[in-house]
Amino acid sequence: MFRVPLNQMLALILVSFVVGIISNSIRSDGISIFAKEIEVSENIDDVFGEPVAITLSQAKRLFDQGVVFVDARDDEYFANGHIKNAWNSGFLMELMFKLDSLQSRNDPVVVYCSEDECGSSEELAYDLYNEGFNKLLVFKGGWIEWKKAGYPIE
Amino acid sequence: MEKGRISHRMSQDIKNAVVLLCRIILGIMFIYASLDKITHPEEFAKQIGYYKALPFGLENLVAIVLPWLELIIGICFLAGIFVDGATLLSIMMMIGFILIISQALLRGIDISCGCFKVSADGENIGLTTIIRDIIFLVMSFVVLNRQERKFEFLPKYD
Repeated sequence: MFRVPLNQMLALILVSFVVGIISNSIRSDGISIFAKEIEVSENIDDVFGEPVAITLSQAKRLFDQGVVFVDARDDEYFANGHIKNAWNSGFLMELMFKLDSLQSRNDPVVVYCSEDECGSSEELAYDLYNEGFNKLLVFKGGWIEWKKAGYPIE
Repeated sequence: MEKGRISHRMSQDIKNAVVLLCRIILGIMFIYASLDKITHPEEFAKQIGYYKALPFGLENLVAIVLPWLELIIGICFLAGIFVDGATLLSIMMMIGFILIISQALLRGIDISCGCFKVSADGENIGLTTIIRDIIFLVMSFVVLNRQERKFEFLPKYD
């Protein structure tokens, strides 16, 4: 009868654990062992660098100021309804080209997806951040919270 | 009688060759899958987070340890070290990957796979990803069910 090689499995996991933790602690681009959640920004004016999260009221204020909103969901969801005047994210290069033709990379861009459980808005925000955009605001409540609040959609 | 023994030996040789081939493919696959993740831990942690399958905060720890586990499993498959342990871990990981990708697809989360490349232009998750993991799972079971231990050096079997 097959015996589960628990000792071998534990040895392999233990070695990986030790090597992983040690190599992470000595390398220059190591990461913190436990992740911190993307922070909600109190003062949007000070945002520069990594993407931050914003609340519904902050998103609405930015919407009223005419800040660009980018919908990170798939095309079909976008076609079924989105925040008024929001852009469909489409291809990253295309989106960057559109943003660059309109504003500087230090100007605010709001990114959203369905709700705070979806990951595509954060993913897109970090993609844009890696390309040199510095004021990326992730509206985590997304399409569902916006629609529920009765704010402008199309 | 002699003929039967020879044909049995031949079929066993073929089985051994299939097992060895599975080990080589799995070994190369695991090593290849680990390299980009080891060199880009931050991006890999983000990819894990997008799956929304882990309790918050754990994605970094998994991003630090999992690529090394993949590398070590790959080396074990190729070098014939702890093959049983590596095989069972491979099976558990493949089942885990299949479940995590399936739940993401069912929840409509459209994200990069993070399977081999962690950059944004990596492949997106989909049915192909699941089928590929099922093939690796089957190959792991082939190794698990081997009758002879060829090219295995640690532990020693008589």
